[in-house]
Amino acid sequence: MSSTCSVVIVGGGIGGVSTAAALRNRGFLGDLTIVDAGELPYDRPPLSKDYLAGRKSLDDIALQSPDWYDDQSITLRNNTTVAALRADSGTVELTTGEQLRADRVVLATGGQAVRPRLPGAGIDALHVLRSAEDADNLRKVLLPGARILVVGAGLIGAEVASTALHLGADVTLVDPLAEPLSAAIGRDAAEWLHSVHAANGITTITAGIDGFEKTTDGIRTYLRGEPHHFDAVVLGVGMTPNTQLAEWAGLAVDRGIIVSAGQLTSNPAVLAVGDPTRRTVDGAVRKRAEHWEAAQHDGARAAATILGLSLPAETAPWFWTDRHGLHVEAVGQMSAATTAVTRGAIGEPPFAVFGIRHGNVVSAAAVNDSNAVRAARRLIDRAIAVDCRQLGDPGVDLRKLLRA
Amino acid sequence: MSEGILVANLDDIAEGEGIAIDKSITGTDDNIALLRDDDGAVWALDDTCTHETASLAEGWVEDGHVECPLHASKFCLKSGDVQGLPATRNTCPHRVEIRDGGIWLFPNETP
Repeated sequence: MSSTCSVVIVGGGIGGVSTAAALRNRGFLGDLTIVDAGELPYDRPPLSKDYLAGRKSLDDIALQSPDWYDDQSITLRNNTTVAALRADSGTVELTTGEQLRADRVVLATGGQAVRPRLPGAGIDALHVLRSAEDADNLRKVLLPGARILVVGAGLIGAEVASTALHLGADVTLVDPLAEPLSAAIGRDAAEWLHSVHAANGITTITAGIDGFEKTTDGIRTYLRGEPHHFDAVVLGVGMTPNTQLAEWAGLAVDRGIIVSAGQLTSNPAVLAVGDPTRRTVDGAVRKRAEHWEAAQHDGARAAATILGLSLPAETAPWFWTDRHGLHVEAVGQMSAATTAVTRGAIGEPPFAVFGIRHGNVVSAAAVNDSNAVRAARRLIDRAIAVDCRQLGDPGVDLRKLLRA
Repeated sequence: MSEGILVANLDDIAEGEGIAIDKSITGTDDNIALLRDDDGAVWALDDTCTHETASLAEGWVEDGHVECPLHASKFCLKSGDVQGLPATRNTCPHRVEIRDGGIWLFPNETP
Protein backbone atom coordinates (compact mmCIF):
# COMPACT_ATOMS: atom_id res chain seq x y z
CA MET A 1 0.00 0.00 0.00
CA SER A 2 1.33 3.44 -0.90
CA SER A 3 1.59 6.22 1.67
CA THR A 4 -0.91 8.55 -0.01
CA CYS A 5 -2.97 10.25 2.69
CA SER A 6 -4.99 12.76 0.75
CA VAL A 7 -6.42 13.06 -2.74
CA VAL A 8 -8.14 16.04 -4.32
CA ILE A 9 -10.15 15.39 -7.49
CA VAL A 10 -10.82 18.43 -9.66
CA GLY A 11 -14.14 17.88 -11.45
CA GLY A 12 -17.28 15.89 -10.64
CA GLY A 13 -18.20 14.30 -13.97
CA ILE A 14 -18.20 10.56 -14.58
CA GLY A 15 -14.37 10.51 -14.53
CA GLY A 16 -13.99 12.32 -11.22
CA VAL A 17 -16.78 10.50 -9.39
CA SER A 18 -15.59 7.13 -10.76
CA THR A 19 -12.09 7.85 -9.47
CA ALA A 20 -13.45 8.58 -5.99
CA ALA A 21 -15.68 5.49 -6.00
CA ALA A 22 -12.82 3.26 -7.16
CA LEU A 23 -10.44 4.66 -4.53
CA ARG A 24 -12.88 3.79 -1.72
CA ASN A 25 -13.79 0.43 -3.30
CA ARG A 26 -10.17 -0.60 -3.42
CA GLY A 27 -9.46 0.42 0.15
CA PHE A 28 -8.26 4.02 0.18
CA LEU A 29 -8.72 5.31 3.73
CA GLY A 30 -7.26 8.81 3.40
CA ASP A 31 -8.90 12.20 2.91
CA LEU A 32 -10.81 12.40 -0.34
CA THR A 33 -12.20 15.61 -1.79
CA ILE A 34 -14.07 16.32 -5.03
CA VAL A 35 -14.14 19.94 -6.18
CA ASP A 36 -17.00 20.62 -8.58
CA ALA A 37 -18.51 23.77 -10.05
CA GLY A 38 -22.10 22.47 -9.85
CA GLU A 39 -24.51 21.76 -7.00
CA LEU A 40 -24.39 17.93 -7.20
CA PRO A 41 -22.44 15.88 -9.77
CA TYR A 42 -24.73 14.59 -12.49
CA ASP A 43 -24.62 12.21 -15.42
CA ARG A 44 -24.32 13.84 -18.85
CA PRO A 45 -25.75 11.28 -21.31
CA PRO A 46 -29.39 12.09 -20.33
CA LEU A 47 -28.80 15.80 -21.10
CA SER A 48 -29.55 15.19 -24.79
CA LYS A 49 -32.40 12.76 -24.10
CA ASP A 50 -34.66 12.36 -21.03
CA TYR A 51 -33.37 15.48 -19.25
CA LEU A 52 -33.70 17.64 -22.37
CA ALA A 53 -37.19 16.24 -22.94
CA GLY A 54 -38.16 17.21 -19.39
CA ARG A 55 -38.81 13.60 -18.40
CA LYS A 56 -36.03 13.58 -15.81
CA SER A 57 -34.92 16.19 -13.28
CA LEU A 58 -31.42 17.06 -12.16
CA ASP A 59 -32.01 14.93 -9.03
CA ASP A 60 -32.99 11.98 -11.26
CA ILE A 61 -29.70 12.13 -13.13
CA ALA A 62 -27.40 12.61 -10.12
CA LEU A 63 -24.34 10.38 -10.47
CA GLN A 64 -24.72 9.52 -6.79
CA SER A 65 -27.17 10.58 -4.11
CA PRO A 66 -26.05 13.30 -1.66
CA ASP A 67 -25.91 10.62 1.08
CA TRP A 68 -23.39 8.59 -0.89
CA TYR A 69 -20.68 11.22 -0.41
CA ASP A 70 -21.21 11.10 3.37
CA ASP A 71 -21.35 7.30 3.42
CA GLN A 72 -18.08 7.13 1.47
CA SER A 73 -16.42 9.88 3.56
CA ILE A 74 -15.94 12.03 0.49
CA THR A 75 -15.87 15.80 0.94
CA LEU A 76 -17.82 17.33 -1.92
CA ARG A 77 -16.78 20.93 -2.41
CA ASN A 78 -19.68 21.88 -4.65
CA ASN A 79 -20.27 25.24 -6.35
CA THR A 80 -16.51 25.64 -6.23
CA THR A 81 -14.04 26.36 -9.00
CA VAL A 82 -10.28 25.95 -9.14
CA ALA A 83 -8.00 28.85 -10.07
CA ALA A 84 -4.66 27.08 -10.17
CA LEU A 85 -2.82 23.84 -9.57
CA ARG A 86 0.63 23.98 -8.02
CA ALA A 87 1.83 20.51 -8.82
CA ASP A 88 5.16 20.63 -6.97
CA SER A 89 3.63 21.57 -3.63
CA GLY A 90 0.46 19.51 -4.19
CA THR A 91 -1.73 22.56 -3.81
CA VAL A 92 -5.06 23.23 -5.47
CA GLU A 93 -5.93 26.90 -5.25
CA LEU A 94 -9.63 27.73 -5.36
CA THR A 95 -11.01 30.90 -6.96
CA THR A 96 -11.87 32.05 -3.42
CA GLY A 97 -8.14 32.01 -2.63
CA GLU A 98 -8.46 29.01 -0.32
CA GLN A 99 -5.74 26.39 -0.77
CA LEU A 100 -6.34 22.63 -0.62
CA ARG A 101 -3.27 20.46 0.06
CA ALA A 102 -3.11 16.93 -1.32
CA ASP A 103 -0.55 14.16 -1.80
CA ARG A 104 -2.13 13.42 -5.15
CA VAL A 105 -4.31 15.57 -7.39
CA VAL A 106 -6.56 14.05 -10.06
CA LEU A 107 -7.63 16.33 -12.90
CA ALA A 108 -11.11 15.40 -14.15
CA THR A 109 -11.74 18.73 -15.80
CA GLY A 110 -13.83 17.57 -18.76
CA GLY A 111 -14.32 19.76 -21.76
CA GLN A 112 -16.46 22.36 -23.43
CA ALA A 113 -18.67 22.19 -26.46
CA VAL A 114 -16.92 23.55 -29.54
CA ARG A 115 -18.21 26.87 -30.83
CA PRO A 116 -16.63 27.13 -34.28
CA ARG A 117 -15.17 30.52 -35.17
CA LEU A 118 -17.71 31.30 -37.86
CA PRO A 119 -19.35 34.62 -38.63
CA GLY A 120 -22.33 34.99 -36.32
CA ALA A 121 -21.20 32.27 -33.90
CA GLY A 122 -21.91 34.61 -30.97
CA ILE A 123 -25.65 34.99 -31.69
CA ASP A 124 -27.86 34.28 -28.63
CA ALA A 125 -30.04 31.78 -30.45
CA LEU A 126 -27.01 29.55 -31.13
CA HIS A 127 -26.98 26.77 -28.55
CA VAL A 128 -24.50 24.11 -27.53
CA LEU A 129 -25.07 21.17 -25.18
CA ARG A 130 -22.58 20.17 -22.55
CA SER A 131 -24.08 21.10 -19.17
CA ALA A 132 -27.49 20.89 -17.52
CA GLU A 133 -27.69 24.67 -17.84
CA ASP A 134 -27.16 24.35 -21.61
CA ALA A 135 -29.98 21.78 -21.71
CA ASP A 136 -32.28 24.07 -19.66
CA ASN A 137 -31.67 26.91 -22.12
CA LEU A 138 -32.19 24.67 -25.13
CA ARG A 139 -35.41 23.13 -23.78
CA LYS A 140 -37.00 26.61 -23.69
CA VAL A 141 -36.73 26.88 -27.47
CA LEU A 142 -37.71 23.31 -28.42
CA LEU A 143 -41.36 24.26 -28.70
CA PRO A 144 -43.95 22.65 -30.97
CA GLY A 145 -43.48 24.06 -34.46
CA ALA A 146 -40.19 25.84 -33.63
CA ARG A 147 -37.77 25.75 -36.57
CA ILE A 148 -34.63 24.15 -35.16
CA LEU A 149 -31.37 23.56 -37.01
CA VAL A 150 -29.05 20.95 -35.52
CA VAL A 151 -25.49 21.13 -36.82
CA GLY A 152 -23.61 17.84 -36.56
CA ALA A 153 -25.26 14.42 -36.81
CA GLY A 154 -22.79 12.35 -34.80
CA LEU A 155 -23.82 11.45 -31.26
CA ILE A 156 -25.08 14.55 -29.43
CA GLY A 157 -26.46 16.23 -32.56
CA ALA A 158 -28.40 13.13 -33.60
CA GLU A 159 -29.78 12.65 -30.08
CA VAL A 160 -30.81 16.30 -29.76
CA ALA A 161 -32.47 16.18 -33.19
CA SER A 162 -34.46 13.11 -32.10
CA THR A 163 -35.51 14.69 -28.78
CA ALA A 164 -36.44 17.99 -30.48
CA LEU A 165 -38.56 16.17 -33.06
CA HIS A 166 -40.41 14.21 -30.41
CA LEU A 167 -41.09 17.51 -28.56
CA GLY A 168 -42.84 18.70 -31.72
CA ALA A 169 -40.16 20.94 -33.22
CA ASP A 170 -39.62 21.28 -36.97
CA VAL A 171 -36.08 19.90 -37.16
CA THR A 172 -33.38 20.21 -39.81
CA LEU A 173 -30.19 18.21 -39.29
CA VAL A 174 -27.10 19.15 -41.24
CA ASP A 175 -23.76 17.36 -41.41
CA PRO A 176 -20.96 17.55 -43.98
CA LEU A 177 -20.89 13.72 -44.08
CA ALA A 178 -23.58 11.72 -45.88
CA GLU A 179 -23.13 8.85 -43.41
CA PRO A 180 -22.20 10.31 -40.01
CA LEU A 181 -20.75 7.76 -37.53
CA SER A 182 -19.55 5.51 -40.36
CA ALA A 183 -16.05 5.45 -38.85
CA ALA A 184 -17.51 4.03 -35.64
CA ILE A 185 -20.25 1.69 -36.84
CA GLY A 186 -19.46 1.02 -40.52
CA ARG A 187 -20.80 2.69 -43.64
CA ASP A 188 -23.91 0.59 -44.31
CA ALA A 189 -25.22 0.70 -40.74
CA ALA A 190 -24.41 4.42 -40.56
CA GLU A 191 -26.25 5.13 -43.81
CA TRP A 192 -29.37 3.37 -42.53
CA LEU A 193 -29.14 4.91 -39.05
CA HIS A 194 -28.92 8.40 -40.56
CA SER A 195 -31.90 7.66 -42.83
CA VAL A 196 -34.01 7.01 -39.71
CA HIS A 197 -34.00 10.77 -39.04
CA ALA A 198 -35.72 11.49 -42.37
CA ALA A 199 -38.09 8.56 -41.93
CA ASN A 200 -39.25 10.16 -38.68
CA GLY A 201 -39.78 13.58 -40.24
CA ILE A 202 -36.46 15.37 -39.82
CA THR A 203 -35.08 17.22 -42.84
CA THR A 204 -31.51 15.95 -43.32
CA ILE A 205 -29.08 17.93 -45.45
CA THR A 206 -25.51 17.01 -46.32
CA ALA A 207 -23.65 20.30 -46.23
CA GLY A 208 -21.11 22.43 -44.43
CA ILE A 209 -21.92 25.74 -42.75
CA ASP A 210 -19.96 28.94 -43.21
CA GLY A 211 -21.77 31.32 -40.91
CA PHE A 212 -24.98 32.62 -39.36
CA GLU A 213 -26.85 35.92 -39.65
CA LYS A 214 -29.22 37.32 -37.06
CA THR A 215 -32.61 38.27 -38.48
CA THR A 216 -35.64 39.97 -36.92
CA ASP A 217 -37.19 36.61 -36.05
CA GLY A 218 -34.27 34.25 -35.68
CA ILE A 219 -31.23 33.05 -37.60
CA ARG A 220 -30.48 32.73 -41.30
CA THR A 221 -27.87 30.40 -42.70
CA TYR A 222 -27.04 29.15 -46.16
CA LEU A 223 -27.18 25.40 -46.82
CA ARG A 224 -25.91 24.34 -50.25
CA GLY A 225 -26.25 27.97 -51.34
CA GLU A 226 -29.90 28.29 -50.31
CA PRO A 227 -30.98 30.60 -47.47
CA HIS A 228 -32.76 28.83 -44.59
CA HIS A 229 -34.43 30.46 -41.59
CA PHE A 230 -34.51 29.03 -38.09
CA ASP A 231 -35.73 30.07 -34.66
CA ALA A 232 -32.70 28.48 -33.01
CA VAL A 233 -29.58 26.51 -33.89
CA VAL A 234 -27.87 23.77 -31.87
CA LEU A 235 -24.20 23.10 -32.54
CA GLY A 236 -23.17 19.49 -31.90
CA VAL A 237 -19.74 19.56 -33.47
CA GLY A 238 -17.48 18.17 -30.79
CA MET A 239 -15.64 19.22 -27.65
CA THR A 240 -12.48 21.03 -26.69
CA PRO A 241 -10.65 19.58 -23.69
CA ASN A 242 -10.26 21.67 -20.54
CA THR A 243 -6.48 21.57 -20.32
CA GLN A 244 -5.80 25.04 -18.97
CA LEU A 245 -5.07 24.03 -15.35
CA ALA A 246 -2.69 21.36 -16.64
CA GLU A 247 -0.95 23.80 -18.97
CA TRP A 248 -0.54 26.44 -16.26
CA ALA A 249 0.91 23.75 -13.99
CA GLY A 250 3.49 22.94 -16.65
CA LEU A 251 2.19 19.44 -17.40
CA ALA A 252 2.66 17.87 -20.84
CA VAL A 253 -0.33 18.82 -23.00
CA ASP A 254 -0.82 18.17 -26.70
CA ARG A 255 -4.48 18.56 -27.72
CA GLY A 256 -5.19 16.79 -24.43
CA ILE A 257 -3.43 16.08 -21.15
CA ILE A 258 -0.82 13.41 -21.88
CA VAL A 259 -1.07 10.57 -19.37
CA SER A 260 0.56 7.18 -18.88
CA ALA A 261 -1.28 3.87 -19.15
CA GLY A 262 -2.00 4.31 -15.42
CA GLN A 263 -3.26 7.94 -15.85
CA LEU A 264 -0.14 9.70 -14.49
CA THR A 265 0.56 13.09 -16.06
CA SER A 266 4.13 14.28 -16.69
CA ASN A 267 4.23 15.20 -12.99
CA PRO A 268 3.78 12.03 -10.90
CA ALA A 269 1.93 13.95 -8.17
CA VAL A 270 -0.85 14.65 -10.64
CA LEU A 271 -3.12 12.21 -12.47
CA ALA A 272 -5.76 13.00 -15.08
CA VAL A 273 -8.87 11.14 -16.25
CA GLY A 274 -11.71 11.38 -18.75
CA ASP A 275 -12.45 13.56 -21.74
CA PRO A 276 -9.40 15.87 -21.65
CA THR A 277 -6.82 13.07 -21.52
CA ARG A 278 -4.75 11.21 -24.08
CA ARG A 279 -3.44 7.89 -22.80
CA THR A 280 -0.06 6.51 -23.74
CA VAL A 281 -0.31 2.76 -24.31
CA ASP A 282 2.62 0.68 -25.58
CA GLY A 283 4.54 3.86 -26.33
CA ALA A 284 1.83 5.40 -28.53
CA VAL A 285 -0.24 8.41 -27.48
CA ARG A 286 -3.89 7.66 -28.25
CA LYS A 287 -6.53 10.10 -29.39
CA ARG A 288 -8.89 11.45 -26.73
CA ALA A 289 -11.51 8.76 -26.07
CA GLU A 290 -14.37 11.16 -25.26
CA HIS A 291 -16.76 8.44 -24.15
CA TRP A 292 -18.63 7.85 -20.90
CA GLU A 293 -17.30 4.37 -20.14
CA ALA A 294 -13.75 5.36 -21.08
CA ALA A 295 -13.84 8.03 -18.36
CA GLN A 296 -15.12 5.46 -15.87
CA HIS A 297 -12.26 3.10 -16.73
CA ASP A 298 -9.77 5.98 -16.43
CA GLY A 299 -11.05 6.52 -12.89
CA ALA A 300 -10.55 2.85 -12.01
CA ARG A 301 -6.97 3.01 -13.36
CA ALA A 302 -6.18 6.26 -11.57
CA ALA A 303 -7.35 4.74 -8.28
CA ALA A 304 -5.21 1.64 -8.83
CA THR A 305 -2.16 3.78 -9.60
CA ILE A 306 -2.63 5.91 -6.48
CA LEU A 307 -3.00 2.78 -4.33
CA GLY A 308 -0.06 1.00 -5.99
CA LEU A 309 -2.35 -1.85 -7.08
CA SER A 310 -2.45 -3.65 -10.42
CA LEU A 311 -4.37 -1.91 -13.20
CA PRO A 312 -7.71 -3.38 -14.29
CA ALA A 313 -7.52 -5.46 -17.50
CA GLU A 314 -7.77 -3.51 -20.77
CA THR A 315 -11.03 -3.88 -22.64
CA ALA A 316 -12.18 -2.81 -26.10
CA PRO A 317 -13.69 0.71 -26.20
CA TRP A 318 -17.50 0.79 -26.06
CA PHE A 319 -20.21 3.40 -26.43
CA TRP A 320 -23.94 3.69 -26.92
CA THR A 321 -26.36 6.19 -28.41
CA ASP A 322 -30.16 6.32 -28.18
CA ARG A 323 -32.32 8.04 -30.80
CA HIS A 324 -35.86 7.63 -32.21
CA GLY A 325 -36.42 4.74 -29.78
CA LEU A 326 -33.42 2.80 -31.12
CA HIS A 327 -30.56 1.66 -28.91
CA VAL A 328 -27.23 1.60 -30.71
CA GLU A 329 -24.00 0.17 -29.29
CA ALA A 330 -20.54 -0.19 -30.74
CA VAL A 331 -17.32 -1.77 -29.49
CA GLY A 332 -13.75 -2.10 -30.74
CA GLN A 333 -12.00 -0.50 -33.71
CA MET A 334 -14.05 -0.58 -36.92
CA SER A 335 -11.06 0.80 -38.86
CA ALA A 336 -9.03 -2.30 -38.02
CA ALA A 337 -11.50 -4.63 -39.78
CA THR A 338 -10.81 -6.06 -43.23
CA THR A 339 -14.18 -7.78 -43.69
CA ALA A 340 -17.64 -7.40 -42.17
CA VAL A 341 -20.19 -10.00 -41.08
CA THR A 342 -23.83 -8.97 -40.68
CA ARG A 343 -26.10 -10.78 -38.23
CA GLY A 344 -29.69 -10.14 -39.23
CA ALA A 345 -30.45 -7.47 -41.83
CA ILE A 346 -29.23 -3.89 -41.73
CA GLY A 347 -32.30 -1.70 -41.40
CA GLU A 348 -34.37 -4.36 -39.64
CA PRO A 349 -33.50 -4.17 -35.93
CA PRO A 350 -32.34 -6.14 -34.10
CA PHE A 351 -29.20 -6.48 -36.19
CA ALA A 352 -25.44 -6.39 -35.68
CA VAL A 353 -22.38 -5.90 -37.86
CA PHE A 354 -19.08 -7.46 -36.82
CA GLY A 355 -15.70 -6.29 -38.10
CA ILE A 356 -13.26 -9.16 -38.71
CA ARG A 357 -9.50 -9.24 -39.16
CA HIS A 358 -7.48 -12.46 -39.52
CA GLY A 359 -10.37 -14.57 -38.22
CA ASN A 360 -10.88 -12.50 -35.07
CA VAL A 361 -13.60 -10.04 -34.19
CA VAL A 362 -12.12 -6.53 -33.89
CA SER A 363 -15.32 -4.49 -33.74
CA ALA A 364 -19.10 -4.71 -33.61
CA ALA A 365 -22.03 -2.35 -33.90
CA ALA A 366 -25.63 -3.27 -33.17
CA VAL A 367 -29.06 -1.71 -33.18
CA ASN A 368 -31.41 -3.09 -30.50
CA ASP A 369 -29.10 -6.09 -30.05
CA SER A 370 -26.77 -5.10 -27.25
CA ASN A 371 -26.01 -8.71 -26.32
CA ALA A 372 -24.32 -9.12 -29.72
CA VAL A 373 -22.01 -6.28 -28.75
CA ARG A 374 -21.49 -7.65 -25.22
CA ALA A 375 -20.51 -10.98 -26.82
CA ALA A 376 -18.25 -9.24 -29.35
CA ARG A 377 -16.48 -7.36 -26.59
CA ARG A 378 -15.59 -10.62 -24.89
CA LEU A 379 -14.55 -12.20 -28.20
CA ILE A 380 -12.24 -9.21 -28.78
CA ASP A 381 -10.85 -9.06 -25.24
CA ARG A 382 -10.17 -12.80 -25.12
CA ALA A 383 -8.93 -12.93 -28.74
CA ILE A 384 -11.17 -15.90 -29.53
CA ALA A 385 -11.09 -16.98 -33.19
CA VAL A 386 -14.58 -17.19 -34.70
CA ASP A 387 -16.40 -18.95 -37.52
CA CYS A 388 -17.94 -16.11 -39.57
CA ARG A 389 -20.91 -18.25 -40.65
CA GLN A 390 -21.85 -18.90 -37.03
CA LEU A 391 -21.31 -15.27 -36.12
CA GLY A 392 -23.69 -14.14 -38.87
CA ASP A 393 -26.38 -16.72 -38.07
CA PRO A 394 -29.04 -15.20 -35.77
CA GLY A 395 -29.95 -18.77 -34.78
CA VAL A 396 -26.55 -19.32 -33.16
CA ASP A 397 -26.21 -18.27 -29.52
CA LEU A 398 -23.17 -16.01 -29.41
CA ARG A 399 -22.42 -17.12 -25.86
CA LYS A 400 -21.57 -20.53 -27.32
CA LEU A 401 -18.81 -18.96 -29.43
CA LEU A 402 -17.27 -17.65 -26.21
CA ARG A 403 -17.10 -21.14 -24.77
CA ALA A 404 -15.46 -22.56 -27.91
CA MET B 1 -43.19 -18.03 4.30
CA SER B 2 -45.31 -18.47 1.19
CA GLU B 3 -45.69 -21.74 -0.70
CA GLY B 4 -43.96 -20.46 -3.78
CA ILE B 5 -45.05 -20.48 -7.40
CA LEU B 6 -43.90 -22.91 -10.09
CA VAL B 7 -43.01 -20.41 -12.83
CA ALA B 8 -40.79 -22.25 -15.32
CA ASN B 9 -38.70 -25.31 -15.97
CA LEU B 10 -34.95 -25.22 -15.66
CA ASP B 11 -34.70 -26.17 -19.35
CA ASP B 12 -36.57 -22.98 -20.29
CA ILE B 13 -33.53 -20.81 -19.55
CA ALA B 14 -30.14 -21.29 -21.18
CA GLU B 15 -27.07 -20.59 -19.07
CA GLY B 16 -26.16 -16.92 -19.38
CA GLU B 17 -29.72 -15.88 -20.20
CA GLY B 18 -32.94 -14.92 -18.50
CA ILE B 19 -36.70 -14.83 -18.83
CA ALA B 20 -39.22 -12.40 -17.37
CA ILE B 21 -42.17 -13.66 -15.31
CA ASP B 22 -45.16 -11.33 -15.54
CA LYS B 23 -46.29 -9.51 -12.41
CA SER B 24 -49.80 -10.92 -12.90
CA ILE B 25 -48.25 -14.30 -12.00
CA THR B 26 -45.83 -13.13 -9.31
CA GLY B 27 -48.19 -10.66 -7.64
CA THR B 28 -45.35 -8.17 -7.30
CA ASP B 29 -45.11 -4.50 -8.36
CA ASP B 30 -42.64 -5.30 -11.13
CA ASN B 31 -42.14 -8.32 -13.35
CA ILE B 32 -39.47 -10.68 -12.02
CA ALA B 33 -36.43 -11.68 -14.06
CA LEU B 34 -35.27 -15.29 -13.67
CA LEU B 35 -31.57 -15.21 -14.52
CA ARG B 36 -29.42 -18.29 -15.03
CA ASP B 37 -25.75 -17.78 -14.32
CA ASP B 38 -23.05 -19.47 -16.39
CA ASP B 39 -22.56 -21.97 -13.55
CA GLY B 40 -26.20 -23.06 -13.99
CA ALA B 41 -27.61 -21.44 -10.83
CA VAL B 42 -30.90 -19.55 -11.13
CA TRP B 43 -31.53 -16.19 -9.44
CA ALA B 44 -34.46 -13.79 -9.41
CA LEU B 45 -34.45 -9.98 -9.43
CA ASP B 46 -36.99 -7.26 -10.15
CA ASP B 47 -36.97 -7.13 -13.94
CA THR B 48 -36.87 -3.39 -14.60
CA CYS B 49 -33.45 -1.74 -14.39
CA THR B 50 -33.34 0.94 -11.69
CA HIS B 51 -31.76 3.38 -14.17
CA GLU B 52 -34.07 3.47 -17.21
CA THR B 53 -36.86 1.26 -18.50
CA ALA B 54 -35.19 -1.94 -19.67
CA SER B 55 -35.71 -5.63 -18.92
CA LEU B 56 -32.85 -7.26 -17.02
CA ALA B 57 -34.15 -10.62 -18.32
CA GLU B 58 -32.78 -9.52 -21.70
CA GLY B 59 -29.39 -8.66 -20.20
CA TRP B 60 -26.03 -10.38 -20.22
CA VAL B 61 -25.70 -12.86 -17.33
CA GLU B 62 -22.19 -13.90 -16.31
CA ASP B 63 -20.09 -14.59 -13.26
CA GLY B 64 -22.65 -13.68 -10.60
CA HIS B 65 -23.90 -10.53 -12.31
CA VAL B 66 -26.43 -9.31 -14.86
CA GLU B 67 -25.61 -6.40 -17.17
CA CYS B 68 -28.57 -4.28 -18.28
CA PRO B 69 -29.15 -4.47 -22.06
CA LEU B 70 -29.46 -0.68 -22.32
CA HIS B 71 -26.56 1.06 -20.58
CA ALA B 72 -24.75 -1.87 -18.99
CA SER B 73 -25.53 -1.09 -15.35
CA LYS B 74 -24.44 -4.17 -13.43
CA PHE B 75 -26.33 -5.90 -10.60
CA CYS B 76 -25.33 -8.75 -8.28
CA LEU B 77 -27.56 -11.77 -9.05
CA LYS B 78 -27.72 -12.83 -5.42
CA SER B 79 -28.23 -9.52 -3.59
CA GLY B 80 -29.55 -7.20 -6.31
CA ASP B 81 -26.89 -4.68 -5.28
CA VAL B 82 -25.84 -2.29 -8.04
CA GLN B 83 -22.19 -2.83 -9.01
CA GLY B 84 -21.73 -0.24 -11.71
CA LEU B 85 -23.09 3.09 -12.96
CA PRO B 86 -25.18 4.54 -14.52
CA ALA B 87 -27.73 2.93 -12.15
CA THR B 88 -27.27 4.03 -8.54
CA ARG B 89 -30.07 2.16 -6.79
CA ASN B 90 -30.10 -1.55 -5.88
CA THR B 91 -32.77 -3.81 -7.29
CA CYS B 92 -34.82 -6.31 -5.27
CA PRO B 93 -33.82 -10.01 -5.10
CA HIS B 94 -36.34 -12.83 -4.68
CA ARG B 95 -35.81 -16.40 -3.46
CA VAL B 96 -35.77 -19.27 -5.95
CA GLU B 97 -35.84 -23.02 -5.39
CA ILE B 98 -35.26 -25.77 -7.94
CA ARG B 99 -37.38 -28.89 -7.38
CA ASP B 100 -37.40 -31.78 -9.89
CA GLY B 101 -36.33 -29.51 -12.72
CA GLY B 102 -38.99 -26.93 -11.88
CA ILE B 103 -38.20 -23.34 -10.88
CA TRP B 104 -40.18 -22.23 -7.83
CA LEU B 105 -40.30 -18.53 -7.11
CA PHE B 106 -40.90 -17.04 -3.66
CA PRO B 107 -41.65 -13.37 -4.39
CA ASN B 108 -40.32 -10.86 -1.85
CA GLU B 109 -38.50 -13.52 0.16
CA THR B 110 -34.80 -12.85 0.67
CA PRO B 111 -32.59 -15.45 -1.06
